[in-house]
Amino acid sequence: MTRMTVNGQPVHYRMDPRTPLLWALRDASNLTGTKYGCGIGMCGACTVNLDGRAVRSCQISIADAEGAFITTIEALSRSRDHPVQQAWIEKMVPQCGYCQSGVIMAVAALIDGNANPSDDEIDEAVTNICRCGTYPRMREAIRLAARVSRGEERLAAAPPPGIDPGDAAAHVAALTPPDEDADDDPGRIVTD
Amino acid sequence: MSQASRLGITRRRLLIGGGVGAGLAVAWGVWPRHYVHNLVAGEGETVFNAFLKIGEDGNVSVIVPQAEMGQGVWTALPQALADELGADWRTIGVETAPINPLYANDFLVTEGAEGALPSFLGSIGQWATREYAVRNALMITGGSTSIRGFEQRFREAGAAARAVLCKAAAARWDADWQACDTADGFVVLGDQRLRFGELAADAAQYSPPDTLTLRNPEGRPITGQSMPRIDLPSKVDGSARYAGDVRLPEMVFASARQAPSSRHRLTAVNRDAANNVFGVTAIFENPRFAACVATNWWAANRGVEALAPEWESDDEGVVDDASIDAALQVALDGDGGTRFVSEGDLAAAFGTSGAHRATYSVGLAPHAAIEPLTATARVTGDRLEIWAPTQAPGLMRTAVADAIGYSEGQVTIYPMLLGGAFGRKIEHDAAVQVAIIARRMNRPVQLTWSREEETRSDYYRPAARGRLTAKLGAAGAISAWHARIAAPSTGNQLFRRIMPSMFFGGVGDASPGAVEGARPAYAIPNLAVEHMPVDIGVETGIWRSVAHSYTAFFTECFMDEMAAQAGIEPLSFRIAMMGDSSRLARCLTAAATLGGWDGGEQGGGMGLAAHSCFGSHVAMVVRLHIGDGQRPIIENIAAAVDCGRMINPEIVRQQIEGGIVFGMSQALGAAIAYADDEPLVSNFHDLGLPILTDIPQIEIELIDSDEEPGGVGEIAVPPVAPAIGNAIFAATGQRLRSIPFRVGGVA
Repeated sequence: MTRMTVNGQPVHYRMDPRTPLLWALRDASNLTGTKYGCGIGMCGACTVNLDGRAVRSCQISIADAEGAFITTIEALSRSRDHPVQQAWIEKMVPQCGYCQSGVIMAVAALIDGNANPSDDEIDEAVTNICRCGTYPRMREAIRLAARVSRGEERLAAAPPPGIDPGDAAAHVAALTPPDEDADDDPGRIVTD
Repeated sequence: MSQASRLGITRRRLLIGGGVGAGLAVAWGVWPRHYVHNLVAGEGETVFNAFLKIGEDGNVSVIVPQAEMGQGVWTALPQALADELGADWRTIGVETAPINPLYANDFLVTEGAEGALPSFLGSIGQWATREYAVRNALMITGGSTSIRGFEQRFREAGAAARAVLCKAAAARWDADWQACDTADGFVVLGDQRLRFGELAADAAQYSPPDTLTLRNPEGRPITGQSMPRIDLPSKVDGSARYAGDVRLPEMVFASARQAPSSRHRLTAVNRDAANNVFGVTAIFENPRFAACVATNWWAANRGVEALAPEWESDDEGVVDDASIDAALQVALDGDGGTRFVSEGDLAAAFGTSGAHRATYSVGLAPHAAIEPLTATARVTGDRLEIWAPTQAPGLMRTAVADAIGYSEGQVTIYPMLLGGAFGRKIEHDAAVQVAIIARRMNRPVQLTWSREEETRSDYYRPAARGRLTAKLGAAGAISAWHARIAAPSTGNQLFRRIMPSMFFGGVGDASPGAVEGARPAYAIPNLAVEHMPVDIGVETGIWRSVAHSYTAFFTECFMDEMAAQAGIEPLSFRIAMMGDSSRLARCLTAAATLGGWDGGEQGGGMGLAAHSCFGSHVAMVVRLHIGDGQRPIIENIAAAVDCGRMINPEIVRQQIEGGIVFGMSQALGAAIAYADDEPLVSNFHDLGLPILTDIPQIEIELIDSDEEPGGVGEIAVPPVAPAIGNAIFAATGQRLRSIPFRVGGVA
């Protein structure tokens, strides 16, 4: 059996049960935010949340993930507003960005379970490889995210995705306000 | 053809607004042909020139030809354009550029990189090579050239658009367009203002004036500011699209194994075993690679493992550590070298005694980007589309077209975000393979190399060996310096792979690029730098900071040896010989202050190093101690950087931090061993790359400067290894002359 809950949706993967979860997520569910880096559980680019733990999805088969609740980077937050994501933007952590989904998932699991991790606990939980060398910023961002999750600090480093053009124009004078008549257009896609 | 036509706009002269009023007119160019941009406007969009589109909604799209591989170029270059345009930064977006001569990196092949791409210059001459670069749309991201090569073009593009927007607004107001200006996304004249979005379509009907004026530095609110990277939000929520994230209807997945070397050919595969792998739908055999296609990548890769390809070599010689070692030593001891730097009278200065000599060496170093090589291909009728991470899209297009017998016009390359490159993704191995596979499949194919393929089929930074000889003169300064360096001509190997239609020389032909950075920054009256070319039997490639990664190590550790000979503290020893290198001297003193330099006392564990490259200057002080198992534990790295005028200081800081970590990996990582024609490494566990817990405190001082911008992506890598080596000496008394360092090993 290869049934599980991925980002709140029930799924049944019709694949070889030995298939690593990583490839079911990427190639069957098209959840491509989770990355392949090494396939041996070293680099952590494939880290997802499985039943509340950060796991390397290249190291667990879909058979072994049977019945699990899995969250990928795409569903870490609805509005890109998880404290770790906001801290990552505030400290401008990413460079190439490829490994960052995995790092963020590892850090989010750490902080969700321990809102005041020591440096040693951080080192133990975050063993991902980042070849761009974003580590110094990572550590600062982890500490910031922990403070935010403890309620000691507030952050709104980046706006949510999918801002309505009218709202954007109301805040940025350089943008042309959308034609009012557009609201009456039956073909307009309403997102919420 | 003028600089103007490089923008796809028509104008004749350019004025740079100077403090004294009289601007600098940029000379007419020499290009025999006129190029037109090939951008496509979306609904409501107006194309202004090759670098800029503005929508009626007010959104500004900046077209960036340089690959975004983490270095922040998708943010920094738009900053330059946005300032000249007078845009509101919040309206700026980025698009990748199509292949076009207008985007050629002519800086890289001419004034920017003398030595780095020597054969371009040495054999053909600047004019011809620049013409080649432009005519062939030589789009390359490399050599830390993006800002140096493109900032001016982006400023010009913004200024040209500003002028026509002003003309369109002035016509509506019945005013003098030259009285108008732009700010925050509006054309303004007194109390009147009009949005760019409202003017864009009109403005494109006007021609830019004969003379364009660039803004003075005080009129650039965005340049010099640490604007948040444009790619940040997409890189924290998983929405950033890399080539491996492309999903097309009916797409299938492929994995491949390549021949161990260019000397090997495929002889046998186990098709039955691969066919028994659940999900495998096709098997490919090619002299240079074997591949499987499946419904998901894991199945495809299991298929390749089941194929168990066998290879034969048409060469008797077998490459291993001993053969590489022997080749380097023979070259170093031989007389087949070329002296690229020769100043003063070396023989007279050395005399017959009193010289100090040491031999240094570096091993092969992996690129190890976390994103392995990948490419997606779709054949539709007689057209091929490729999605790929690439530092050279034009060369990739040529290679792909040649591989499957298409014309370049039939091939479209979509350059994607790069998940790290460090030089590796200037090559196009995976794109060529997937094109060959996709032409025979009637479905889109996504090829991804396994980490094992990526590691074994890397084109490593070459192994190199340097013999340095120097002599002290009066007052404890160096009077003579001779650097003789055995290394492959990696540039020649690289261009043979990526530009096979041009001949740049062989791996065994001497090349200044192989000894770039070996000329010390110090004032030494008698000086020689020689390259002893050598074929080590391994295909090597360009690697972050190229030859500087070893020449700085050789030079700056040997400088400490000479300081010890002179009995002078290493910082004072260097400063006394700085001569014309005042910017580097300032970096050294700043780093020494920042890092709390202790004079390099024995037992203190501090080392320093300084190096100038890519138009910039960096000095570092490292503090370390020796931990369990003789492992050097880095406690602190203080770096002072002068990279000239900065467009985005925070991005510069990111690059320095990243360069330091990259430099740590070559100094303290694992060696790449070779046996039986193959590297003995297969995955990250073999490479010893640093992780969070290994990272010291890093302090950086960016020195204010009005000088022209230098590169930043590579400059922090070279000083790391020598600073660590010098610190190990201070901690242990052992002078280690080989990287990766092994404390307690043989020097």
